Amino acid sequence: MKLHCFDRKFFHSSPSLTPIQLPSPMETHLWYVIPREVKSESLLNKYLDILSPCEKENVFQMRGEEPRKNALLARALVRTTIARYQINSQVSPRSLRFKKNIHGKPELEWQFSDHGLSPPLHFNISHTSSLVACGVTMNSQIGIDVEEKHRTIKHNILTFARRYFSKDEVQYLAAILDPEVQRQEFVKLWTLKEAYVKALGRGFSGAPFKTFTIRYKGVAGGSFNPLEDLNPEALQMVVDSFDDPIELTSNWQFVLLELVGSHYAAICMENNVDIEGKRTVPVKLTVWKTIPFLEDECVSGTDAVKTVSGLK
Amino acid sequence: MASVTASSVSISSLSCSLKQNQVFNLKKVSFSVSRKSFPSLRLQPAHRRFHVACAAKPETVEKVCEIVRKQLALPADSAVTGESTFLSLGADSLDTVEIVMGLEEEFGISVEEESAQSITTVQEAADMIDKLVEKKA
Repeated sequence: MKLHCFDRKFFHSSPSLTPIQLPSPMETHLWYVIPREVKSESLLNKYLDILSPCEKENVFQMRGEEPRKNALLARALVRTTIARYQINSQVSPRSLRFKKNIHGKPELEWQFSDHGLSPPLHFNISHTSSLVACGVTMNSQIGIDVEEKHRTIKHNILTFARRYFSKDEVQYLAAILDPEVQRQEFVKLWTLKEAYVKALGRGFSGAPFKTFTIRYKGVAGGSFNPLEDLNPEALQMVVDSFDDPIELTSNWQFVLLELVGSHYAAICMENNVDIEGKRTVPVKLTVWKTIPFLEDECVSGTDAVKTVSGLK
Repeated sequence: MASVTASSVSISSLSCSLKQNQVFNLKKVSFSVSRKSFPSLRLQPAHRRFHVACAAKPETVEKVCEIVRKQLALPADSAVTGESTFLSLGADSLDTVEIVMGLEEEFGISVEEESAQSITTVQEAADMIDKLVEKKA
């Protein structure tokens, strides 16, 4: 069932988008917008203007001003972010085209590919009502998920975990006595699991949450307390997949961040190292806070980005 | 009714116009195409009424709307109907899972993970609930 979206091929230049160099292998770029800070009607209209007709339709289907604004910002963030990489000088936010893989994961459709291979630039977005984020990599599958740190879970956390998480993960959460810490670890685990599933690109049903465990490297059975043990090696997250024996744990790397003190952001990246080495190359991460067309600020190394695990 | 629903969805999808504010639900199209099982059209024995088991009771839809409103902290006057997708109401994946859990508790049913993940609208949730409740009875 193909829905045809009109494709406007006139190349409207956007001088107000700072061009950026493509990320190197095992490097992730993370761009985020804080919706509350985007108030200008004319700016929002500028964003609307770069969307495809189908994307516009999706935006207007959202019920309520806030969900609508967030949907708009999400699409605008993806388009403006990718356009910055100036893959060739004819790329503008509006000219970008997207398609879905066989499982429904959005991907960039390469218009000017010379070699006919799938485009090496990968992206993934996630948003909550208060933050919209887009992660970009080269040659690596990527999945990201953001959640509010203080998000309340309406249900009992262990009941929820027993229902949807793996046994090891339930054990890990059950061992945490402080309810607030338990809630935080739950949210972190949720974002990591979401990021993994999104990186796999198979959809929620392609990798049910119960079929894999994400844990700190130092732990095999949930006895280790990451809050006490500050060994960075041990704090690395790894995934054990039950269903997929071919899926080696070293294929995927995780980064967990605290953004602007209010959100957890999990990034899951495909490990794309030399076949001979097979060593896990540490992920390099650069983070920008942006209001597309208006301002960008590289916030890596500032208080806005706090590494929880996965980065040196 | 399920097959009617599916065909009516596919008909409207062919006429995807680019008008704004159209309530047309793109998500429902992909769901219907990939759906493995449809609610069965059951014919009861002659001494009972002809019973079509696929459209949810209005009370169920109402209850689902209430639970969705609560989970997403929507104002009481916000528009939530059978057609509403969780996504369009601002639900993320965690919200959707919590909604399903809330429905399980409210109706005393158990939803398989695969079914839970395929629910995208209030109507779909209500249909599934009524089917499960009926199976239980």
